[in-house]
Amino acid sequence: MSRLAALVCLGLLAWSRAVAASVDFKLVDARGHPVPDAVVSLVPLDPAAPATAASRRPVEIEQVKQEFLPYVTPVLVGTTVSFPNRDTEQHHVYSLSDAKKFEFPLYKPGMAEKVVFDRPGVVAIGCNVHDWMIAYVVVLETPLFAKSDDDGAARVADVPPGHYRAEVWQPRLDKPATREVTIAADSPAPLAFTLPLKRDLRIHRPVESGGGYK
Amino acid sequence: MSVFRLFRFRRLSIRLLVILLGLIFAALATTQKLVSHYNDQTAREHAATNLDLGARVYQEAARQRIENLAGNASLMSGDYTVRQLLLKPEIDRQTLGSLLRSYTQRINSPVIALLDPKGDLLANSDETMANENVGPFQYLIEHAGDDPPETSGFSYLNGRLHVLVVVPLYAPIPHVAAWFGLAFPIDRAFAEKIKDISRLEVTFVSIDDVTRPRVLATTLDASAAGLVAQSVVANLRAPERIKTLDLPGGRYVTLFKPQDMLAEAPVTVVLQRPLSVELAAAREVENYIMLISLAALAVATLAALWIARGISQPVQQLAAHTRVVAAGDYATRLHLDRVDELGQLATAFNAMSEGLAERDRVRDLLDKNVSPEVAAQLMRDGGAALGGEEREVTILFSDLRGFTTLSEKLPPRELLTLLNRYLDRMSAAIEAHGGVIDKFIGDAIMALFGAPVAQSDAADRALAAALAMERALVGLNAELAAEGRPPLGIGVGVNTARVVAGNIGSHRRLNYSVIGDGVNVASRLESLTRTVAYRTNIVTSAATVAACRRTSSPPSGLLSPDSSLLIPTFRPLGPVRVKGRAEPVEIFAVG
Ligand SMILES: [Cu+2]
Repeated sequence: MSRLAALVCLGLLAWSRAVAASVDFKLVDARGHPVPDAVVSLVPLDPAAPATAASRRPVEIEQVKQEFLPYVTPVLVGTTVSFPNRDTEQHHVYSLSDAKKFEFPLYKPGMAEKVVFDRPGVVAIGCNVHDWMIAYVVVLETPLFAKSDDDGAARVADVPPGHYRAEVWQPRLDKPATREVTIAADSPAPLAFTLPLKRDLRIHRPVESGGGYK
Repeated sequence: MSVFRLFRFRRLSIRLLVILLGLIFAALATTQKLVSHYNDQTAREHAATNLDLGARVYQEAARQRIENLAGNASLMSGDYTVRQLLLKPEIDRQTLGSLLRSYTQRINSPVIALLDPKGDLLANSDETMANENVGPFQYLIEHAGDDPPETSGFSYLNGRLHVLVVVPLYAPIPHVAAWFGLAFPIDRAFAEKIKDISRLEVTFVSIDDVTRPRVLATTLDASAAGLVAQSVVANLRAPERIKTLDLPGGRYVTLFKPQDMLAEAPVTVVLQRPLSVELAAAREVENYIMLISLAALAVATLAALWIARGISQPVQQLAAHTRVVAAGDYATRLHLDRVDELGQLATAFNAMSEGLAERDRVRDLLDKNVSPEVAAQLMRDGGAALGGEEREVTILFSDLRGFTTLSEKLPPRELLTLLNRYLDRMSAAIEAHGGVIDKFIGDAIMALFGAPVAQSDAADRALAAALAMERALVGLNAELAAEGRPPLGIGVGVNTARVVAGNIGSHRRLNYSVIGDGVNVASRLESLTRTVAYRTNIVTSAATVAACRRTSSPPSGLLSPDSSLLIPTFRPLGPVRVKGRAEPVEIFAVG
């Protein structure tokens, strides 16, 4: 439901700002495979960049079948994220990341604590009960961001023409991939990134237990 | 030369003994030496293998220790308290430090540090250690791989060698929220622990400064460790993985194993094993061999003595027997109960004795039967000259006149005494002139001149002898007259002829004599003296006279100095027919 709402909102935005362009990202790894779960963003470099309307609609990271869902969530700084426990057992959600340190001890099913991510940075979220549970909240200062899908594609809409630093973050990257780009009014060519991904070091759960990382 | 003189022995047995024992001793000594050498080599190889094993033990000990620490650190990273402390926006470093100190007890790691993901020190169990002292941890974090992320290495912390390991604190996996840095010192305790497992001496030597190698930890005493440190420097110049070192405690087979350090000069791990330990079993074997060798030498000595005696005793017997033979005893026989060369020698010796005895017997016989000259000639020439040859010989025959009537008057005993007295005088006269009595035939004498020893003046001698006999008889007759006996008369025939001279007789009894027509003629001439008309006691042939005249100079040399050669005068008696001879013989009376 929330995702649909977001899309409607983005659609309205696109309609209201006809002059802006849409920037497509195409992400592959060193072997040419599409890279999902990457956060792409455009950081304006022009000094007088036009202020963009900030979208701070609340976001959800739920706990289902002893997993965080979604795995990666990009948010604008100041966004409130709720962590509803839709599982049958307790969790102990925490983060030791500098960008946001928090914990929800004795986190029973049905509860939905909220956290405001007020500092930019990557926040790794885990559960003290289940070692394998992991989620990332990428807190960005720019509203021009998107998350890549299973095809490694991400689209940032309503990008005013101008100078930007395109950034790609992914959990398996040592450091974000960046590139300076100039966006014109017409629809520009997709930004292609080849990402040097590390091995996926998440704990592999047996598929029958509800997990199943690639 | 003096060396060779040492090996000159008066006794064959000693020489044999020395040679045999020398060879056996050399063989045994060589064996011992070879075995010892082989054992030494084996011990070294064995020690080298042990050292390689020790090196693995050392590595395994370090690895296990690291793994242990890493495992403990992993558990520690899940500790709620540390997470609670890290959850605070502002980290309480003091509390964190004291927590880490309590961990040092819990996981038995002397040093525990907590560093943030970038490698900055958050807290340390050792408060004296500041951010700038934990460089090796930071180095490890920087070089940590992803899989597995904990890494380890050797480095110095506060100037002491440590094994370090960094272990991530995940929040959650695989997100690294912090790093644990753990370290344990490479000290004597660690070295002793490796020694306990590997039974090797362990020394860690730093050679940052080649002039001052530093012993970091050792199981040896200080002086030995100092030498080991020096050897590490020496080994840098001439690298050798395994060496034998002489230390105060004995010889050590030594292995040098460079231990890589984190961005620092390598530390050398020296593993050693005393050679004596390796050699213990081998030495026991060598002692057994030595005992066996000594026993073998003793047995060999007895055997050599026995062999030497076996050779020298019969040789001594032979020598003794030689002396017996030299003393003239040819009757004693040497009895060696052997079939070998010495036995053959004894047999040959006995045969020689027998030969000598035979020769003696022959000589005895000759002495009695032939004149000394003939005997001498026989002994000299071995009888070869007497084998039979034709030569000119002057033969003298004499006969006693009136012996028949005398034999009727005298008793046999007196007769024989008288006859011998007569023959003695005659023989003396003949021999004095170089004649050889060939034989006595009853009262007759046959004598030879010029045989067996050739004489150029044989005829002169014979005639002179005949005259001497005549004169000797005059002397004898005077004696007989004084005794009141009747005088004796004599007749002598002398002839010179070519006759065959040689040994005549059976193989059992041989006589040197001459045969031929000339002998008969001489006998005939003697008979002719009975012819009264000739008025002579001595008749000779023209051949003798001719031979006599051939020699102008008087004979000398063979005559004894006191006897002077009588010069004969000849009175022709005319030709006479001699029995068995076709030609008449011209005869002469000799006076
Ligand atoms: Cu959980």
